[in-house]
Amino acid sequence: MLKPILLPAVLLAAGVGPLQAQTDYYARAGAMWASTLVRDVLVTEVTVQQSVAPMVALGASMPISPGYRAGLEATFASGGFSAEQDGVETDLGTLRTASVMLGLDGPVVQNLRWRVGLGGLFYLPSDDRGIFLEGGPIRFVAGAGADWRRPVMTKWDLMVSARYDLHRFTTDELEQRGFSQAQGVSRVSLSVGLGRGIR
Amino acid sequence: MSRASRCLAAAAALVAFACSDIGAPVRSDLYEWRIEAPAVPGPGVDTLSFHWSRNEQPVRVWVEDAFGLPDHMARAIDVWESAFLYGEFDATVVSDSGTADVIVRGGTPENKLQRLRLHSALRPECAGETQLDIDVATHELRLPIRVFVDPRSLPDDPGIEPCLALTSIHELGHAIGILAHSEDPEDIMYTDPEVDLPSNRDITTAEAAYHTPANLLAVRP
Repeated sequence: MLKPILLPAVLLAAGVGPLQAQTDYYARAGAMWASTLVRDVLVTEVTVQQSVAPMVALGASMPISPGYRAGLEATFASGGFSAEQDGVETDLGTLRTASVMLGLDGPVVQNLRWRVGLGGLFYLPSDDRGIFLEGGPIRFVAGAGADWRRPVMTKWDLMVSARYDLHRFTTDELEQRGFSQAQGVSRVSLSVGLGRGIR
Repeated sequence: MSRASRCLAAAAALVAFACSDIGAPVRSDLYEWRIEAPAVPGPGVDTLSFHWSRNEQPVRVWVEDAFGLPDHMARAIDVWESAFLYGEFDATVVSDSGTADVIVRGGTPENKLQRLRLHSALRPECAGETQLDIDVATHELRLPIRVFVDPRSLPDDPGIEPCLALTSIHELGHAIGILAHSEDPEDIMYTDPEVDLPSNRDITTAEAAYHTPANLLAVRP
């Protein structure tokens, strides 16, 4: 599963031949919101949700045709998650997520570019307890977003990005307990950073 | 199909993919965890139920250093904590018995006070008992809950450790709020269980106990 992700990553890191000068690197920091992870009924409704989490993103891309680039973006977020029932919230600890997505981006207008991507999302709970008793899952994730850039230094651009991605969430523990299907989870992030400008 | 129709269909599929909920299981296979006591005042019976509320947790458990009970009880705590999906039960072992919510001792139970006594004649190698000091009139459960785990065979008996382990889990099951016994030998909360760990029915029953309002209030004398 990781081979399609790792190969472009290695090529990007190596800065293959003449592409090296056109390889774009960037780093951003921001915040991520995610929708409900689990919706259960135990007399009344119980929901599990992540808090708004600080996140960082690192990425690189190469041109594939005039105006279009392909690249890899890794995102890491770390925040709390909690269960809520009848207005009472229970802290369930820390939940980290890491995603790696292969993406394609292209122009919209001037400094604005669209982006789409596919990849994997890793759930990394601080404790193997509760819904993560059998460990954190790896889920297929699809996403889209937009990047706005403005040159701020000779070689660097200010970068503002919005991302939306979605995946289907479940865990081995939930499946063992008879939960069927999976929960559709949407994530939205806003981040600001610097990108090595391609002039 | 026109391009617009295909786009609409794709968008609808995406929305369905993003918004559909996980299917929660139906938890109907459980047993009665509450106990009945004579109603005070008046005729009839009173159904008593208990669970540790959020602000009473982590539940403080003191364990006598005898017969390997600290290890068995630490595992029992872990087993019951793991039975819940949403952090409903949390306990910790404490060194000061004076502040404990649950006191676990090895040996024969005390008989000083008139308490509700939940006996368990588990395997031939050992037995257990959980004592609940309940005031039926005020619906108060006076802490601490007292648990006794009583080895009845020699330490080198190969059956003693498994017996102490399952008895610890069983008695802690009473202390977390499963006040009654199951009628199925496949459940750890059966009087003389044939299993070493909580069954799905035990887990479903524990979940029900923690998501149903309790009418006993834990108080410290």
